[in-house]
Order: sequence, then structure tokens, then C-alpha cells
Amino acid sequence: MTWTCEQTEARLSDYLDGLLQPTEQTAFDLHVNSCARCTPLVASVSHVLGTLHKLEQLEPSPRLVDSILTITQGPQTWRNAKRWLRSLQSPRFVYSAVSVAATLVVLLTAAGFNWRKPKLADLAPATIYRNANSQVHLVYARSTKFVSDLRVVYEIQSRINENDQNPAIREQTIPQTSPKKDPGRTDNSNPSSPKQQNRANEIGRNLEVLACEFPVLTGSLAERRMP
Amino acid sequence: MEQDAQLVQQCLQGDGSAWEELVRRHTRRIFNICYRFTGNRTEAEDLSQDVFLRVYRTLGTYRSAHGGFATWMTSVTRNLLIDHYRRTKRDRVTDSLDDKMPLVENKESVGRRPDEQALLSELSGQVQSALTRLSPELREAVILRDLQQLEYGEIQHVLAVPEGTVKSRINRGRIELARILQQMGVRPA
Repeated sequence: MTWTCEQTEARLSDYLDGLLQPTEQTAFDLHVNSCARCTPLVASVSHVLGTLHKLEQLEPSPRLVDSILTITQGPQTWRNAKRWLRSLQSPRFVYSAVSVAATLVVLLTAAGFNWRKPKLADLAPATIYRNANSQVHLVYARSTKFVSDLRVVYEIQSRINENDQNPAIREQTIPQTSPKKDPGRTDNSNPSSPKQQNRANEIGRNLEVLACEFPVLTGSLAERRMP
Repeated sequence: MEQDAQLVQQCLQGDGSAWEELVRRHTRRIFNICYRFTGNRTEAEDLSQDVFLRVYRTLGTYRSAHGGFATWMTSVTRNLLIDHYRRTKRDRVTDSLDDKMPLVENKESVGRRPDEQALLSELSGQVQSALTRLSPELREAVILRDLQQLEYGEIQHVLAVPEGTVKSRINRGRIELARILQQMGVRPA
């Protein structure tokens, strides 16, 4: 393959980038090594290419980024304000705001704030404190009463269940009464039906159990009965 | 590349921090293209600002399917540089290489001896001067290929010319650069 100076110049970049075919490469080398015009050309272009590849990236001025941001998005303060406003749209912030609002509503309601007829005076710290104080005491008193009621009911219920399940204990706990007198019979007459009699007997037994368990109650009842 | 496309999407949705991130990622590269083309730091910074302003205004026209964001941005830069070249053509002094003081790289290289660094800095300044003597078509091709290390396909996309033209411009640019340096008295070591 014959190679000319024009071909050398035209294919110089292919040669430098290693894109020549083996036969072209051989012809190129043969020509360049023997051509007084092409040898310095190849050497100088190779040198330029090497220098270009060695050139390092320059660092721009540190102010450049800020200048670009200023001309595109405005001054730093404005950018910060926009970023802050944008952060308000995030779901996390919305959830937090809703939670805080709900908490405030609950607290104000608990403090006795009237939502139907709101008054500025209701928001005064002294008023809020007074209302909150009375509400707390009220809730506390109600809670105490409720717990106490629950306790009494539970005691009664558990005792009744215990007696129902174990007749032997029931017999022991029931005080012996006069065999001639059945509970519920106050007029010395027979009950109208066996069912009614059974119910009366059951009530009588339960009352007796209660009387054993709560002597104080029995005493107060006895006092009440006394004229 | 995908991250750039994602940042662009966030920008279009009004996320200022995404734009800030894009600016930080590409400022150095764009500045270097501008500097290699103009040979002037102040001009390069002004042009970099113009590039980002144009990118910011036309961000909605970018389509990731048509290529990478960096390539698109390089196209915008190239168009602005050509506009700038045409606009300032009358004001430019085109003769006498001696009038131009070689610009010295201000970045210290790690691992080079001081004498090597000084030699390279001098040579870099001379190459930069020679670059600014090239015609804009050849200059941009050489900058994109040999300084920005873009592939032929990417350069073809940026310059919007066929691949054969890209190769031809790069080849002619390199040869022309070598001749200018020879005229300046720079000889291969």
C-alpha cells in the first residue's frame, strides 16, 4: 500500500487515536519514517495532544456558584425564604402542625373553652388555670367514684358467683334461721307459687351473705330500720 | 446522568435545592469550556453565568430521551460561545501573538516536581494562547474532544454536524494548533 503526505495529514487523528487498520498503520509508519515533511508534523501534533491531555481543569472563583444562583434564583436571603416556605409543604410538617392543632383543641376544650361562644377572656391564663383546675378536680372526683362503684359491684358479683359454685360454703356462711319462717313471708301466709318462693329464698340468702361480709352496712341498715 | 435527569425533574417542580445541586455539579466543567474557548477568566465567568441563566430558563425543553443533561448543557454552552465570538469579533485583536500574555494555570499539581510544574504551566499558557488563535469551529471541536474528553457521538450531538465533519474538524484543529505553537517557537521535547 502506498501512502502520501495528504493521507498522513487526513488520517493523523485516526493514527493518534489508534483507529488505523494494521495495513494502514504499516503504510503510515513506513511513509512517516521516510518523509521529511511528515515526521515533524506527526511529532508536533503528538506533542500538542499530549499537552492538551495534561492540561488540568481550572478552579473557578468561589463566588461563581453564588453569582449563578443569584442571577437565577435571586439573592441568598430570598432563596432561604423560598426554601423555608417550601419546607412547610412537606408531609412531615403538615402532620406535625395537625397534631399540634389537635392537641391545642383538646387542651382548650379540657380547660373549659367554649367553642360555640368564644371569648377573649376565656384565653386569659388565670381563666384557663381556674377552669383547668376545676375540670381536673371534677374528673378526679368522678373517676374516684367510678372506681369505688366498680369495686363494690365486683365484690358483690364475685361473692355471689362463689356461693353459686360451692353450695357447701354457702350453707356455712348462711346463718341458721327459724325453720318455721321462710324469708319473704311476712304475713304468715303461703306464697302464691313455688317459683316466687324460690326467688324469695335466693334473695334472702344473698342478703344474708352480704350481711356477713359487710357488717358495717348491716349496722347502718339496722339503724335505718330503727324508728 | 440519571441523577441529573432526576434533579432536573425536581427543579421543574420548584425545588430550589435541586437547581443548586445541578449548578454545583456542572459549574467547573462549564467554566473550563468557556475559559479554554475565550482564554480569559473574567469572560469565562460571565459566560458561565449566561449559560446557567439560559439553562435555567429553558430547563423545561430538556428531554432526557434525547441525551444526557451534560451533553445538552454543553450544546447550550457551545451556542453561547459561538454567539459571543461573533458578537465580539470586531473588538478582538486578532494579530500579533506577542500581545497576548500566556495564561498560567493556577492549580498546583500533586506529584510533580516544581520545575516540571513550572514547565507545564508555561506550556499550558502557550497552548491556551494557541487555542484562542484557532477558528471557532476547530477550537470547539478540539476543546470538546481533547480537553473535555467527549466521545465522537457526543460531539456530533453538541455541534449538530455529521460524525465525519467532527473527525475532520478535530484533525484539522490539532494540526493547526501544532502549527501555531511552532510559529510561537514551541518545539516538541
